[in-house]
Amino acid sequence: MKGNDRVAAVGVGYSTTGRRTGLTSWQLAIQAATAALADAGMTAKDLDGVALLWGVAGPAPEGLDVVDPQDLGYMLGVEELNWYGTAGPSYIGPALQAVAAIKAGFCHTVLTLRIINQAVSAKDRMAGLTEPTPAAGDSQFTAPFGSVSPVQSVAALPARRHMDLFGTTEAQFGAHVVAQRHHASMNDDAIFRDPLTVDDYLAARYISTPVRVLDCDYPVDSASAVIFTSGERARNWQKKPVYVDSAAYSSVKYMTFENLDDFTQSSPFHAGRELWKRTDLRPEDVDCAQLYDGFTIIVFQWLEALGFCGLGESGPFVEAGHTRLGGRIPVNTDGGACNVGRRHGANFCIEAIRQLRGECGDRQVPGAEVAVWANATGPFSGAMLMTAS
Amino acid sequence: MTMTERATALNTPPVPVPTAITEFFWEGVRSGELRILRCQACEYFVHYPRPLCNKCGSTDLAPERVSGRAIVYSYTWAVQAFHPYFKDRVPYNVAVVELVEQAGLRMTTNIVDCPPEALRTGMEVQVVFRQVGPELVLPLFRPAPVGTPVSASNEEKR
Repeated sequence: MKGNDRVAAVGVGYSTTGRRTGLTSWQLAIQAATAALADAGMTAKDLDGVALLWGVAGPAPEGLDVVDPQDLGYMLGVEELNWYGTAGPSYIGPALQAVAAIKAGFCHTVLTLRIINQAVSAKDRMAGLTEPTPAAGDSQFTAPFGSVSPVQSVAALPARRHMDLFGTTEAQFGAHVVAQRHHASMNDDAIFRDPLTVDDYLAARYISTPVRVLDCDYPVDSASAVIFTSGERARNWQKKPVYVDSAAYSSVKYMTFENLDDFTQSSPFHAGRELWKRTDLRPEDVDCAQLYDGFTIIVFQWLEALGFCGLGESGPFVEAGHTRLGGRIPVNTDGGACNVGRRHGANFCIEAIRQLRGECGDRQVPGAEVAVWANATGPFSGAMLMTAS
Repeated sequence: MTMTERATALNTPPVPVPTAITEFFWEGVRSGELRILRCQACEYFVHYPRPLCNKCGSTDLAPERVSGRAIVYSYTWAVQAFHPYFKDRVPYNVAVVELVEQAGLRMTTNIVDCPPEALRTGMEVQVVFRQVGPELVLPLFRPAPVGTPVSASNEEKR
């Protein structure tokens, strides 16, 4: 089978984004797909693959519409798909599937999406629990003890471990929150744009110590889309192509954060090692890093995992201002999901592409040629290095 | 919804659903013993329970009683409740403890009989069995300094 040497991103788009938009998952998906096609200057007839992950945070309420990649291709008008896929984690799953399928030669142009329909809030979901809830599978060893939210297993327990092993402080978490809010202030699409101080951060309420409400991404209805195509087709479209230099996927142990072998070095460290093995570029060549901020501690993990600072050094690194625009490695230049709303990683891919196109206005990293974006953490995650040429 | 249903929901945390392979653990807890599945070929403790040993591949595994001594690996104080049982119980702690029998052999639990400010990573604890719901006993841990040498995972401080 004849494969493709290179893969490029040629179109990006977002749906309407917000809380309780009233839009169905299908409407969100079609909006984002249409925006990405328009950005590329292509029609659905130019696609031959769809990879997406649809979901809600928490169990889906009965009757919520599910978007399937086969259906979406058909609904957009692609009569025969050469490739379709649906796998996590988050958005890095569909993106890496698309890249792999194009490289392998299964297809040439893939629409990728992450669709999130946040139909039920945590508070409403809790109110709906009126009978004893079962803790099945491995959750029988965690949920009965009250580890019932990702804020505890994904964020609080690893964050506390990081603090106790390395001396990381809450003010250092705050320095990151303040820096990325500063970046959001230059992004018209951001939901939160008012500047913050570290004192504001320290005054914010805890959800589960040491994690505060400002450490958590902001749940919204949203769909995000990126179109990947083969290197030979990359210049057929209206926007400057951005190339995939290397990518890495990682799974370690199994899907229970509480039982990871190492809370401070989980799958991002594996993905980071593999990413740099697959390229001649080095961390010092990277102009901006877009690092998943489902919770603040994850950004700190990725800074260390990708080699921007040493193990355990992310706290002082962030506090010194190295991750602010103008610093050594600007991080989350769109403001991150805490400020633009939850996209489960897709906003970081889109921001990396926009930085490399030079479309970012006031928050543009001058002359950006290399960007990295990363998504998820713990048992599963991935990262992608992209270049402007 | 009847008042009885609401009361039931508030009186128990999520209830473990044992399977054929995990039943020994909960049976042990009910009889006041902490039992962990152990490979009979290479002596590796396999927790959470699995049908084979991930170290040597043997399917000859059997539950064994462990000391119940452990060291706190990490912890958090949950301030916002995400389940109705915990609504009136916040702040409550969730801890991950490492059993002294084997580096990396960990359990999620709650630390009890401990002043909030005393809960610390590296603290030595001992299992205790407590009834937390009408039909639910859980293995919890309480402070118990025993001069145990710290385990490998707690020595990785730089």
